[in-house]
Amino acid sequence: MSKQVLDRLCQRFPEAVLETHGFRGDETAVVRREEIGAIVRWLRDEPGLEMSMLTDMTAVDFLQQGHDPRFEVVYHLFSVPHKHRLRLKVQVPEQDIQVPSLAGLYKIADWLEREIWDMYGIRFKGHPNLKRILLYEEFVGHPLRKDYPKDRRQPLVRRPENEIAEVLARRGKARSLPTPGGAR
Amino acid sequence: MSDEKKTDEKVPELVAITIDGKSYQAPKGGNLLQFMLGEGLEISYFCWHPGMSVVAVCRQCLVGLKNMAKLVPACQTVIGDGMEVDNSSEKVLDARRQLLEFTLVNHPVDCPICDKAGECVLQKHYMDWDHQPSKIDHPKVHKPKAVDLGPRIVLDDERCILCTRCVRFMREIVGDPQLVIANRGNHAVLTVAPGRRLDHPYSLNTVDICPVGALTDKDFRFKIRVWELSATRSVCNGCATGCRCEVHHRRNRIYRLVPPRYKNHDINESWMCDYGRYTYKAVAADRLTLPRVRGQEGGWDDALGRVADALKKAMGGDRSRIGVALGADATNEDNFIAARLALQFLEGSRLYLAAEPIGSQGDTFLRDNDPNPNRAGAEACGRGKAASAEQLGADLKEGKLDVLLVVGDRLHLDEEAMGKAAALDCFAIQATHPSAAVSKAQVVLPACMWAEVDGTITNRDRKTQRLRAAVAPVDFARPHWEILVQIARRAGLTLDFSSASAVFRAMSEEIELFGGAEWGREIPPQLLRYAGSRG
Amino acid sequence: MTTTDRDLEAPDLTTVNMGPSHPAMHGTIHIKVGLEGELIRKAEVNIGYLHRGFEKEAEAHSWQQIFPYTDRLNYVSPMLNNVGYALAVEKLLGITAPERAQYLRVIVGEIARICDHLTYMAAQTMEMGAFTPYFYVMKGRDWLWDLLEEISGARLTHSYVRIGGVAWDLPEGFKEKTLELLPRIDTVVVELDKLMTRNRIFLDRMQNIAVISAEEAVSYGWTGPCLRGSGVDYDVRKTHPYLVYDRMDFEIPIGTDGDNMDRYLVRMEEMRQSARIIRQALEQIPPGPVCTDDKLVVIPRKAATYNTIEEMINHFKLVIDGIRPPVGEVYSYTEAGNGELGFYLVSDGTGRPVKCRVRPPCFMGMAALERMITGHMVADVIPTFDTINMIGGECDR
Repeated sequence: MSKQVLDRLCQRFPEAVLETHGFRGDETAVVRREEIGAIVRWLRDEPGLEMSMLTDMTAVDFLQQGHDPRFEVVYHLFSVPHKHRLRLKVQVPEQDIQVPSLAGLYKIADWLEREIWDMYGIRFKGHPNLKRILLYEEFVGHPLRKDYPKDRRQPLVRRPENEIAEVLARRGKARSLPTPGGAR
Repeated sequence: MSDEKKTDEKVPELVAITIDGKSYQAPKGGNLLQFMLGEGLEISYFCWHPGMSVVAVCRQCLVGLKNMAKLVPACQTVIGDGMEVDNSSEKVLDARRQLLEFTLVNHPVDCPICDKAGECVLQKHYMDWDHQPSKIDHPKVHKPKAVDLGPRIVLDDERCILCTRCVRFMREIVGDPQLVIANRGNHAVLTVAPGRRLDHPYSLNTVDICPVGALTDKDFRFKIRVWELSATRSVCNGCATGCRCEVHHRRNRIYRLVPPRYKNHDINESWMCDYGRYTYKAVAADRLTLPRVRGQEGGWDDALGRVADALKKAMGGDRSRIGVALGADATNEDNFIAARLALQFLEGSRLYLAAEPIGSQGDTFLRDNDPNPNRAGAEACGRGKAASAEQLGADLKEGKLDVLLVVGDRLHLDEEAMGKAAALDCFAIQATHPSAAVSKAQVVLPACMWAEVDGTITNRDRKTQRLRAAVAPVDFARPHWEILVQIARRAGLTLDFSSASAVFRAMSEEIELFGGAEWGREIPPQLLRYAGSRG
Repeated sequence: MTTTDRDLEAPDLTTVNMGPSHPAMHGTIHIKVGLEGELIRKAEVNIGYLHRGFEKEAEAHSWQQIFPYTDRLNYVSPMLNNVGYALAVEKLLGITAPERAQYLRVIVGEIARICDHLTYMAAQTMEMGAFTPYFYVMKGRDWLWDLLEEISGARLTHSYVRIGGVAWDLPEGFKEKTLELLPRIDTVVVELDKLMTRNRIFLDRMQNIAVISAEEAVSYGWTGPCLRGSGVDYDVRKTHPYLVYDRMDFEIPIGTDGDNMDRYLVRMEEMRQSARIIRQALEQIPPGPVCTDDKLVVIPRKAATYNTIEEMINHFKLVIDGIRPPVGEVYSYTEAGNGELGFYLVSDGTGRPVKCRVRPPCFMGMAALERMITGHMVADVIPTFDTINMIGGECDR
């Protein structure tokens, strides 16, 4: 990851960069949500930077750590000609859970953003086709959120009797009394 | 402990000190270790405890001070102006390693069978400060293992690191020195004082404060491994003190109640009485699970319908023949709904408070004479209009009631009154366990217990605290407030609440006692594994 | 993003559903095509049939416990996933495995890469109708799996790599066995080459089909053989050398046209280069420990664990609390069979991850599939889909 990319970014967008840090050789910049499109476009097109590849995009839920804003969308950019990398982060509050889409800048952003929508429920403004990608359409909820329990069951097909199963699952299964021996 | 924490006499003077070169403003005359822990600095210690005297027996908290050739124990160091503390030089780290080495010299290789494993302070300090392999090649000193110290506690002398926390607790906090250290040197052992047993009603606190697995609770021993448990913060329902506690549970079964670690200096600091700790057993044992009508188990619809029908019929006539009893063991939300039903919708009906009579089992430390966890809250919900259970008994004997709806398990009536209640048009009770009242009632509605619901209760000092649901309700039980809402709906009354927090919101607006209380944020249960354990 | 705005269900198009349960869909994939005669006017690709919640599981386990899950990502080259994940955690911890362990990781990684490409060959050829190469390849791959089974105990779910090194050293006679096996593998590759590369039918079906330019490939986030087929010289082993790849002498095959044929040829040549690397690694590998002895990362020897309290506590806390890396995040990437396999790990100082993201190289390949098959004929769907070498475990996790 490249320190000078970070420096040039801070120079060009001083207001939009909220925080930077480097850890184990990775350079990261936390930027303002509204500016992400402009920043990424500049990083992609600027001579000398030319971060031509959006290597990865994902989101992190910091509910257990109690962060506010709760979510972070993380972008990893890579320059094929110059070989440098940069990580950009955008903080997303739960109350206003949306981010501008990068689908117009990188072709892969389409599917990556669909996956974040699927798993976290973060909307991408301007995305052409924001629907689930890994899970089936009838799935209820966004499973990678920390308040979605790992062992929740879902009906595969929504039918009225399955709604009841869903309510029970939401409340947590009612338990029966432990056996007199004690062990369960 | 029953008084409010005394407001500090005077604000202590702050002086400038440095720790590892960084400057801090610390209270003059304060305890250095306590200050360092408050600042979040990393330091190891065994024997110090904020609630007890300083003895500096373990020497694990050694730090360096400028101008002192030898290292000093931070717990015994009084903060002075211009103090320069060294907490991270090689000398200090070496000392910590060496102390741990000595502590471990005779420590048995018991981790696989020790209950404390996973929340053991010795394990934690070893991993944080000392990762040296063993240097001894000599048999360890053996001491008594699995010693029966008292009705609730087992002692393993080999694991004991002689920190004397338990000895000091018994001597200083509860004032009954049942524990002593006997013998000397390598053969020193923890034991009971001559002729005594460790049977004090607060003895289980020694199990909590023991940094290793020397003292173990007979009730919890070998039941489950600590790291499998999840902790939910809640409040003990054993008496009107309302000690803060943590419910340790796994898969909807509670394994123990423990007081919170000493970050909490309210009400009960980090102590709980033994009786309160065992109140978790009632949550699983002997519960009512299905609604009953005239002794026959059935569905909710039928049972609720009966009560609603009786209410509708009585509403049309003399309303003073309807009686509603609030429960001093139910949450404020439950009582608020019941009171609203009685005072607003069934205006003219008689309101009572079903509470256990005040006894004499309380003490001067934590346990209160009033065994009802929420008397203050129930009375506030009743707007002062709730009559006593004696009055209810009298009214029953005088034949003044046709319908009686009771919330909670604490209704005690004499035989004659109970017989009269059984003969009413409709005697309905929402309860959790079988009792005399339950056996006499025509309609029995199974309710949830405190560990199964979200709600608030108010203690003897009029402090409202939040209960958090730790386990799922047993089979078909429902929270009291939800049952009442269902009855009201079937009786044609609009009582519309869909969650306990909605009830709380309405309640805190209407009743002064709850005006300053907070519902608090949703805290998911904390898994005690993955470095979240208490050790 | 699809290149046409035609509606898949438009009345003048024939909608054909391919998959998800389809003999030619290796891995479960659902491709809906809107045909005009034989030409595909619009395509829609649906993935996710093998989504098993890797990331959610990882968040509930300690760092060391995740290895078996990584085996099941790209399950035709599990060693490469193990290595990638171990390197990511080591980057987070700031430790390095000992030299011998690094060589071992390279050796098993390259064996896994050969297995991956052989599997690709088998799928590519069989799904176009050529059965014979499939069996030749299976034979060769099984020989390699025998080797890996000797090392790790399992044919597919190895979990051989550990944080800080590898689980144990090579078995006796491994070097001789491998050096004896590599020429036999080469024979299989030569057989394959002879059967397919200049085969008229094969050429007709692969050349100039699904051409992706370098710019487009980069925009789609492509890496690995697919990207190199489009002419971009990017291989993590050369660009950001890791482990001991900088001491190895090997070449990166680059394509020119970006069509199916190039992607096939790149993989064909990579198998030969991998064999080269394995030979060199076996030659250069030094003696020494195969795992670091950092007490905060690696559990102690069993004899010590059972007999001394110090080692007992050490083992205990590592297993129960998990390894505790510093608070922070890293993105670590290696060259897996399909391209840049990235792990983005976020740690909050406790023993389990806040986030364990896998950057799956074939996901990017699949994202371009709609674009690649649109404008071609229905019969081109299968060869094109094969050249992406989508492995369900990695794409869907």
